[in-house]
Amino acid sequence: VAPEPTNTVEEPLDLIRLSLDERIYVKMRNDRELRGRLHAYDQHLNMILGDVEETVTTVEIDEETYEELYKSTKRNIPMLFVRGDGVVLVAPPLRVG
Amino acid sequence: MSLRKQTPSDFLKQIIGRPVVVKLNSGVDYRGVLACLDGYMNIAIEQTEEYVNGQLKNKYGDAFLRGNNDLMGKSTTRKTLTLYSDGFFSFKMFL
Repeated sequence: VAPEPTNTVEEPLDLIRLSLDERIYVKMRNDRELRGRLHAYDQHLNMILGDVEETVTTVEIDEETYEELYKSTKRNIPMLFVRGDGVVLVAPPLRVG
Repeated sequence: MSLRKQTPSDFLKQIIGRPVVVKLNSGVDYRGVLACLDGYMNIAIEQTEEYVNGQLKNKYGDAFLRGNNDLMGKSTTRKTLTLYSDGFFSFKMFL
Protein backbone atom coordinates (compact mmCIF):
# COMPACT_ATOMS: atom_id res chain seq x y z
CA VAL A 1 0.00 0.00 0.00
CA ALA A 2 1.54 3.31 -0.99
CA PRO A 3 1.99 5.67 1.97
CA GLU A 4 -0.48 8.54 2.01
CA PRO A 5 0.85 12.12 1.89
CA THR A 6 0.79 13.64 5.37
CA ASN A 7 -1.78 16.31 4.54
CA THR A 8 -4.51 13.71 3.90
CA VAL A 9 -6.14 11.24 6.32
CA GLU A 10 -3.56 9.66 8.59
CA GLU A 11 -3.06 5.91 8.79
CA PRO A 12 -3.76 4.12 12.05
CA LEU A 13 0.01 3.74 12.53
CA ASP A 14 0.46 7.51 12.34
CA LEU A 15 -1.90 7.82 15.25
CA ILE A 16 0.17 5.29 17.24
CA ARG A 17 3.13 7.59 16.59
CA LEU A 18 1.30 10.23 18.66
CA SER A 19 1.52 7.84 21.63
CA LEU A 20 5.35 7.64 21.50
CA ASP A 21 6.84 8.26 24.93
CA GLU A 22 3.36 8.05 26.43
CA ARG A 23 2.02 5.26 28.58
CA ILE A 24 -0.20 2.89 26.60
CA TYR A 25 -2.36 -0.15 27.16
CA VAL A 26 -1.79 -3.19 24.92
CA LYS A 27 -4.12 -6.15 24.69
CA MET A 28 -2.38 -9.31 23.52
CA ARG A 29 -3.46 -12.79 22.52
CA ASN A 30 -3.64 -15.46 25.22
CA ASP A 31 -5.41 -13.14 27.67
CA ARG A 32 -2.44 -10.90 28.34
CA GLU A 33 -2.41 -7.17 28.87
CA LEU A 34 0.49 -4.77 29.08
CA ARG A 35 0.72 -1.24 30.44
CA GLY A 36 3.93 0.57 29.77
CA ARG A 37 5.67 3.52 28.12
CA LEU A 38 5.96 3.24 24.36
CA HIS A 39 9.57 3.84 23.29
CA ALA A 40 9.44 2.41 19.76
CA TYR A 41 7.21 0.54 17.33
CA ASP A 42 7.19 -0.59 13.73
CA GLN A 43 4.68 -1.57 11.04
CA HIS A 44 4.41 -5.09 12.46
CA LEU A 45 3.47 -3.55 15.81
CA ASN A 46 6.69 -4.90 17.33
CA MET A 47 7.17 -2.53 20.27
CA ILE A 48 9.68 -1.54 22.89
CA LEU A 49 7.89 -0.79 26.14
CA GLY A 50 9.49 0.55 29.29
CA ASP A 51 8.38 0.25 32.90
CA VAL A 52 5.84 -2.43 32.01
CA GLU A 53 3.20 -4.17 34.07
CA GLU A 54 2.02 -7.42 32.46
CA THR A 55 -1.31 -8.96 33.53
CA VAL A 56 -2.07 -12.57 32.62
CA THR A 57 -5.70 -13.58 33.21
CA THR A 58 -6.78 -17.19 33.64
CA VAL A 59 -10.19 -18.73 34.25
CA GLU A 60 -10.56 -21.74 36.47
CA ILE A 61 -13.84 -23.59 36.36
CA ASP A 62 -14.97 -25.40 39.49
CA GLU A 63 -15.89 -28.92 38.39
CA GLU A 64 -18.76 -29.19 40.83
CA THR A 65 -20.37 -25.76 40.82
CA TYR A 66 -19.19 -24.76 37.30
CA GLU A 67 -18.31 -21.48 38.87
CA GLU A 68 -15.83 -19.36 36.89
CA LEU A 69 -12.93 -18.12 38.97
CA TYR A 70 -10.92 -15.37 37.25
CA LYS A 71 -7.35 -15.07 38.38
CA SER A 72 -4.84 -12.52 37.22
CA THR A 73 -1.10 -12.64 37.66
CA LYS A 74 0.96 -9.48 37.36
CA ARG A 75 4.63 -8.90 36.91
CA ASN A 76 6.78 -5.84 36.34
CA ILE A 77 9.42 -5.63 33.60
CA PRO A 78 11.73 -2.60 33.24
CA MET A 79 12.24 -2.91 29.47
CA LEU A 80 10.40 -5.24 27.11
CA PHE A 81 10.44 -6.13 23.42
CA VAL A 82 6.96 -7.11 22.28
CA ARG A 83 6.64 -9.15 19.09
CA GLY A 84 3.91 -7.64 16.97
CA ASP A 85 2.10 -10.81 15.95
CA GLY A 86 0.74 -11.21 19.49
CA VAL A 87 -0.74 -7.73 19.62
CA VAL A 88 -4.51 -7.37 19.30
CA LEU A 89 -5.19 -3.81 20.42
CA VAL A 90 -3.27 -0.67 21.41
CA ALA A 91 -4.90 2.24 23.27
CA PRO A 92 -4.04 5.05 25.62
CA PRO A 93 -4.45 3.83 29.21
CA LEU A 94 -8.07 3.96 30.37
CA ARG A 95 -8.91 7.60 30.82
CA VAL A 96 -11.74 9.90 29.80
CA GLY A 97 -10.89 11.66 26.53
CA MET B 1 -24.03 5.91 0.40
CA SER B 2 -23.57 5.80 -3.37
CA LEU B 3 -23.72 2.43 -5.12
CA ARG B 4 -21.70 3.50 -8.16
CA LYS B 5 -18.62 1.47 -9.06
CA GLN B 6 -15.58 2.53 -7.12
CA THR B 7 -12.25 1.13 -6.17
CA PRO B 8 -11.76 -0.50 -2.77
CA SER B 9 -9.61 2.42 -1.63
CA ASP B 10 -12.37 4.90 -2.52
CA PHE B 11 -14.74 2.77 -0.47
CA LEU B 12 -12.36 2.77 2.48
CA LYS B 13 -12.15 6.56 2.41
CA GLN B 14 -15.93 6.82 2.29
CA ILE B 15 -16.64 4.72 5.38
CA ILE B 16 -14.37 6.74 7.62
CA GLY B 17 -16.40 8.56 10.26
CA ARG B 18 -19.15 5.94 10.35
CA PRO B 19 -20.15 3.95 13.42
CA VAL B 20 -18.83 0.42 13.17
CA VAL B 21 -18.64 -2.86 15.01
CA VAL B 22 -15.43 -4.82 14.62
CA LYS B 23 -15.86 -8.40 15.73
CA LEU B 24 -12.70 -10.40 16.27
CA ASN B 25 -12.71 -14.15 15.85
CA SER B 26 -11.84 -14.36 19.54
CA GLY B 27 -15.45 -13.31 20.18
CA VAL B 28 -14.73 -9.76 21.37
CA ASP B 29 -16.64 -6.85 19.81
CA TYR B 30 -15.34 -3.31 19.49
CA ARG B 31 -17.93 -0.63 18.81
CA GLY B 32 -17.10 2.96 17.94
CA VAL B 33 -16.59 5.47 15.15
CA LEU B 34 -14.14 4.44 12.41
CA ALA B 35 -11.27 6.94 12.55
CA CYS B 36 -9.08 5.33 9.91
CA LEU B 37 -8.20 2.15 8.11
CA ASP B 38 -5.16 1.18 6.06
CA GLY B 39 -4.32 -1.37 3.38
CA TYR B 40 -3.22 -3.91 5.99
CA MET B 41 -6.62 -3.55 7.69
CA ASN B 42 -5.13 -1.91 10.76
CA ILE B 43 -8.13 -0.06 12.22
CA ALA B 44 -8.31 3.01 14.44
CA ILE B 45 -11.61 3.54 16.24
CA GLU B 46 -12.75 6.46 18.40
CA GLN B 47 -15.05 6.27 21.42
CA THR B 48 -14.51 2.53 21.51
CA GLU B 49 -16.42 0.15 23.69
CA GLU B 50 -15.29 -3.43 24.16
CA TYR B 51 -17.96 -6.11 24.54
CA VAL B 52 -17.23 -9.66 25.66
CA ASN B 53 -20.63 -11.29 26.17
CA GLY B 54 -21.82 -8.28 28.21
CA GLN B 55 -19.96 -5.00 28.41
CA LEU B 56 -16.43 -5.39 29.74
CA LYS B 57 -14.41 -2.23 29.29
CA ASN B 58 -14.82 1.31 27.97
CA LYS B 59 -11.95 2.71 25.97
CA TYR B 60 -12.23 6.41 25.28
CA GLY B 61 -10.15 8.12 22.66
CA ASP B 62 -8.47 6.02 20.02
CA ALA B 63 -8.13 2.27 19.95
CA PHE B 64 -5.92 0.61 17.34
CA LEU B 65 -6.76 -2.87 16.17
CA ARG B 66 -3.93 -4.70 14.47
CA GLY B 67 -4.62 -5.80 10.95
CA ASN B 68 -3.42 -8.73 8.96
CA ASN B 69 0.30 -8.25 8.48
CA ASP B 70 1.05 -11.83 7.59
CA LEU B 71 2.27 -11.73 4.00
CA MET B 72 1.74 -15.47 3.61
CA GLY B 73 -1.96 -14.69 3.58
CA LYS B 74 -2.93 -16.16 6.92
CA SER B 75 -5.03 -13.79 8.96
CA THR B 76 -3.64 -13.21 12.42
CA THR B 77 -7.03 -12.26 13.78
CA ARG B 78 -10.05 -12.63 11.57
CA LYS B 79 -12.25 -9.60 11.87
CA THR B 80 -15.74 -8.81 10.73
CA LEU B 81 -16.41 -5.15 10.15
CA THR B 82 -20.10 -4.31 10.36
CA LEU B 83 -21.20 -0.90 9.16
CA TYR B 84 -24.52 0.66 10.07
CA SER B 85 -25.48 2.94 7.23
CA ASP B 86 -28.36 5.38 7.55
CA GLY B 87 -30.92 2.67 8.31
CA PHE B 88 -31.14 1.66 4.66
CA PHE B 89 -28.85 -1.34 4.93
CA SER B 90 -26.02 -2.76 6.91
CA PHE B 91 -23.28 -4.86 5.47
CA LYS B 92 -20.29 -6.71 6.74
CA MET B 93 -16.73 -6.71 5.53
CA PHE B 94 -14.81 -9.85 6.36
CA LEU B 95 -11.23 -8.91 7.00
